Amino acid sequence: MSTLTLDAVSRWYGNVVAVNDVTFEVGPGITGLLGPNGAGKTTLLHMMAGFLAPSTGRLELDGAPTWRRPELYRQLGFVPEREAVYGFLTGRQFVTATARLHGLTDPRAAADRALEMVSMTDAAERAIAGYSKGMRQRIKVAAALVHDPPVLILDEPFNGMDPRQRLHMMDLLRAMAAEGRLILFSSHILEEVERLSDRVLVIVAGRLAASGDFRRIRRLMTDRPHTFTVRATNERALAQALLAEPAVQAVELADGLLTVRTADYGTLTRAIGPAARRAGASLLELRPADESLESVFSYLVRR
Amino acid sequence: MIRALLSITLRGLLNRRRTLLLMLGGALLLLIAALFRLSDPSEPESLRFTGRLLADFGLAVLLPLVAVIVGTAVIGSELDDGTIIYVLARPVPRALVVAVRFAVAWVVVAVLVAVPILLGGLIGAGGQSELAVAYAVASVLGALEYTAVFVALSLVTSRALVAGLAYVVVWEGVVAGLFAGTRIFSIRQHALAVGDALAGEGAVTAELEPLTALIVAVAVTVLALVLALRRLERVELRGETS
Repeated sequence: MSTLTLDAVSRWYGNVVAVNDVTFEVGPGITGLLGPNGAGKTTLLHMMAGFLAPSTGRLELDGAPTWRRPELYRQLGFVPEREAVYGFLTGRQFVTATARLHGLTDPRAAADRALEMVSMTDAAERAIAGYSKGMRQRIKVAAALVHDPPVLILDEPFNGMDPRQRLHMMDLLRAMAAEGRLILFSSHILEEVERLSDRVLVIVAGRLAASGDFRRIRRLMTDRPHTFTVRATNERALAQALLAEPAVQAVELADGLLTVRTADYGTLTRAIGPAARRAGASLLELRPADESLESVFSYLVRR
Repeated sequence: MIRALLSITLRGLLNRRRTLLLMLGGALLLLIAALFRLSDPSEPESLRFTGRLLADFGLAVLLPLVAVIVGTAVIGSELDDGTIIYVLARPVPRALVVAVRFAVAWVVVAVLVAVPILLGGLIGAGGQSELAVAYAVASVLGALEYTAVFVALSLVTSRALVAGLAYVVVWEGVVAGLFAGTRIFSIRQHALAVGDALAGEGAVTAELEPLTALIVAVAVTVLALVLALRRLERVELRGETS
């Protein structure tokens, strides 16, 4: 059973802090690393996979540091986000060469098995240069799996995959996790993480914003305060009517535009129609102001 | 393990159009030698001309040009596009990675340069082999040193091709021509010294003692490879945004 430990890990590039004081521990099973683009997910994963040195802090796999230790890769498979793979090799040559670099006794058999696992057997004889994004993604996964590692780290593994390939890959990762492997993958898409992982680490602006059971984090995300902007006729009367609603926390009126804050999203959407009627106002537009993933994430950070 | 390293490295190099274009340089040398032969020169004249062709074009232009392109690409191109991760994410000793990549680059440079020098020398000198063999051997040794330096350079800077060309043009071409004392750190002068020592009539007179040149060449090669290994052991891969 493998354990990946991060203790107060930070990493900066010059003056830019990419990862800021991150502490957590992951064990077997699937863990999702969720965060918007540029949050530091790749930096974090590259540190875990031994390609970057932490600027400060301790980062260990089963008690041994990952940085500058090629032996690490006997127990770790890594799927990088970058698309570039040796285009001049066929899929089979790439995976077989990888098996040889791992010093496996039967590299051909190991490559066959890995290609089969990602359903790339049919395309294995074609040059990687001609592969689609999804196929490249899968051949990278096959190469990372070829030595049957107990730890698998994947950076945005579902990028470029069609829905069918995505489901297949999710099944594959689930099956591998069921065998007791530690699987850690990153994504900026909430649904992917929701469907696949038992545990979630949310990283925003280099900091660990939340971690733990996905359902708990999901609840935090839905229960957070929502902000709407409302355009209406007779907006002053509407503002007064809304302030009387228990679901409304605050109303702001500026340049004829109402900004309404609520902790209870469902009640407000039901209450706003009747409130408008009471105030003699017509609703022209009702728009959620902060539904982007980034704002969800930044709420988690502020919390 | 070595087999896989070799095949990825060699195929990666030969797959690059740039590497194949370098064959044109060798072809040009052969063409000049053949055209010269057509003018039906006297023997002393043909040895003098061939010596200059092999030294001034073969060793001074073709060799550094091929070496800088192949040497900076053999690891550098994979550092640029990130594919080096598919070698570094394996339990392969980094010294083996450097050794294999360097060896492949050396052989490719040596073949691309020594073969045209050998053939061009034979054609130019009307079948006399002494000059051709001497400068071919010198180019193989020069290839060793140049390649080691350019491999190391590619691990030190991401602008290794420019830096390497600057070294060849500015340092070897200008500075070493103006200040005799700097020639000891000119790889071209090392190769010329070896060529001069091995060849008889027609050789271009070298400025350095062959033994000195050899010792410095070996020392530089070893130091460059040690530096390359140290850099590769500490190379950081950041991902897409780096």
